[in-house]
Amino acid sequence: MKHNELEKYTISFGLSLAITSLFSALLVILKELCEHSVLVWMGKATGHHWMTHGIIDVVVFVALGWLLGTLNGGRGVSISAEKFIKTVVGAVVISGLIIVGFYTVDMMAG
Amino acid sequence: MIKFADVALMTHATFGMLCIIASVWVFVDTLNVSQGNLVRIKLMSRAVAGFMWLAFLIGGYWYVTYYYADKALILKGPWPFAHHLVMETKEHLVLMLLLLTTFLPITASGNLVANKSARNVVLWVVGLIILTGILMEGSGAIIGMGVKLAVLPK
Repeated sequence: MKHNELEKYTISFGLSLAITSLFSALLVILKELCEHSVLVWMGKATGHHWMTHGIIDVVVFVALGWLLGTLNGGRGVSISAEKFIKTVVGAVVISGLIIVGFYTVDMMAG
Repeated sequence: MIKFADVALMTHATFGMLCIIASVWVFVDTLNVSQGNLVRIKLMSRAVAGFMWLAFLIGGYWYVTYYYADKALILKGPWPFAHHLVMETKEHLVLMLLLLTTFLPITASGNLVANKSARNVVLWVVGLIILTGILMEGSGAIIGMGVKLAVLPK
């Protein structure tokens, strides 16, 4: 490994975090808009839609982080540190804004 | 007599605060990283994740078991946004915070003394944890105020 390269699992789980955050934010919108189907299913799956949401997020995060680490013959994904940080931070901030924005619009719409 | 639900809620907030304090510790130690504090950074990163998981599990139990009563009060009170906007946002943002804190020990596992990129990743991740954590604590206070205002005599 070069001096300033990131470790394999830092990259794979970081990218997994970025993807899972965006996925989670979109799942919020999906379940709220499809409250008679998706929300009901998620509620029945574990007893509460939020518990199902959390379990899905953790499973996706772990599975994707492990999977991305196996790419390129087990060397994982290659990405510069600067691009990696922008991707992770950008995804987390955008996911947060999606959630806040959705519930703000939802509340104002009554 | 103190109810179990209240103990759970206070424990949840306490572990959340411990998570923020440990995160600030990691941030400052990483800014001043050396061979002398490298092990401490790794241990405190694990503490951040541990505190967050405890806060999450206890808060999650309280949320699915007891929150419905507070929710009913909030919705009848003068601050219905404390549920519609603040709690709805909090319960979903916290899932990202959980993943961020779980990711932190992985980022901190490298040689932060020699690797500036790894250091920068830790600083960004722990920075996001601190900001989101403070947002969660503030949200909890607004939700609590929503309940309080609902039960105050008009």
